[in-house]
Amino acid sequence: MQGFNDQVIEAAHRRTVPGSRFAARAANLLARSTVRETAATTIVVLLLIAAMEVASWYVPDYIMPSPEAVSAAIWRLANTDYIHVFATLGRLAAALSFSLVAGVLLGLLMALSPLLRPFIRSLVVIDTGIPALSWILLAVFWFKNPETRIFFILIMILMPFYALSIYDGFRALPKDLVDMIESFRPSQLQTLRYLIVPHLVPYVILTTKSVIGYATRMVIFAELVASALGVGSRMGLAQSTFHIDEVLAWTFFLVVLNIVLQLLVTAIEKAVLGWRQETAVR
Amino acid sequence: MNMRPTDLGSVVGAPVISLRGVRKDFSGHRVVDDLSFDVARGEIVTLLGRTGAGKTTVLNIIMGTTGIDAGAVRVAGADPFKEFKSLKGRLSVAFQNDRLLPWRTTVENAELGLLILGEDRKRARAKAIEWLANVNLAGAEDKYPHQLSGGMRQRVSLARALAVDPELILLDESFSQLDHVTSRTLRRDFCKVAREFGKTCLIVTHRIDDALEMADRVIVLGPGARIMLEMPLAEARIDQQTRDQCRAQIETALGGKDEADES
Repeated sequence: MQGFNDQVIEAAHRRTVPGSRFAARAANLLARSTVRETAATTIVVLLLIAAMEVASWYVPDYIMPSPEAVSAAIWRLANTDYIHVFATLGRLAAALSFSLVAGVLLGLLMALSPLLRPFIRSLVVIDTGIPALSWILLAVFWFKNPETRIFFILIMILMPFYALSIYDGFRALPKDLVDMIESFRPSQLQTLRYLIVPHLVPYVILTTKSVIGYATRMVIFAELVASALGVGSRMGLAQSTFHIDEVLAWTFFLVVLNIVLQLLVTAIEKAVLGWRQETAVR
Repeated sequence: MNMRPTDLGSVVGAPVISLRGVRKDFSGHRVVDDLSFDVARGEIVTLLGRTGAGKTTVLNIIMGTTGIDAGAVRVAGADPFKEFKSLKGRLSVAFQNDRLLPWRTTVENAELGLLILGEDRKRARAKAIEWLANVNLAGAEDKYPHQLSGGMRQRVSLARALAVDPELILLDESFSQLDHVTSRTLRRDFCKVAREFGKTCLIVTHRIDDALEMADRVIVLGPGARIMLEMPLAEARIDQQTRDQCRAQIETALGGKDEADES
């Protein structure tokens, strides 16, 4: 028995050595490409700043302010308008969380109830076909409270993504694993807990990763039309008062926010999906 | 080892598995035709047959995932299909492929059945660790399935099946995807553990060697899951001459030599 154990370990070792070399090579390639990407991004940012500077020499301030003026606007807004940033982030977090929970429940309902499936699926598909602008305009007519308007707009836009992703994830559940867990005669709750929910977690994270940038753009757009509080409304105000430096300052903030949110989701992905095998294609 | 008392090797009392005149059709095609056999407590029986003989259907019927069209099935005193939940904790299955949950570590996979049975988390963990040691996997508890070799993953699958201390263990071609050396060692290890704890086992396989090395008795199935041959194999496990005779008889019943067998 022990001899066999050694054999297995040796065989596993034989298999992992070339794999490790390959993984090391892949990691090396990845590190080099990361350095290249960072350098390329830095060059692009510097070129954009230079282009802004040059453009600002030839056109009025309300068309293109200098990078210095935009930096000053960023500093000014960071000191005076942070409440608007918090409002936007709060709305984004609330809508994203609610859409996630409601979308997952809808997706599960679609997957688990053949009776309700066609009805929910039709609703979700119709919802995905309605333009975001329609929801924004309708929300302005339907709701008085700006918070309700923005919350409604965001969940109507985001929820279908989660519902469809969860439904597809459920359909991709390997039958082998279902048969395995059913051989232990679990309750439905146990099947949900030990099999279905862990299987669906990657789908939830990947959907969040895909929609978070879109959600940020939508919350800004909704605030522009439906509220006097938040980054979107401040951008609207800056535009109407010809403060293009502030519009660019907010744009800069939104780009950074998107990068931070993507990094945050990636960190959560790494922490929650650490069990996944890293694969690299030569 | 903390196990339920079992009647080691005894063949008295009600059989753990009993099939009487079982018939099953799929889309007008008769897959199982008037099948009857018993498996006694503590017995290791192999259900051997070519691909398409209906072995897996018979296994599914015993597992309770497939109903029957005629006849009667009793597993541990219950109808496995109609009283599906009543067999909770009394039957477990080791499948052809390991079917480990990729997001759970080795020990978390091994304790899965125990947690489903409502075992306390700490006790489940302790039992799982003990069973992993029994199948020679001590030290691999925190590894994820993708970090293990095929043979090691199959051992985890066996540990998961054994850890729930079932009356009956069903093995569905559990060793057929492994190389011959690994397969032979696993078969030997499994039989040692199964006999030590007096487990009743039904092994479904298409490989004659699985039957000759593991079983107390072989049931050879032909088309429509009809029994072509049924014979004891206890002596064949220790005597080479008897073993060769049994092999020849099984091959004849199967209609020829099985190329999948290694010797």
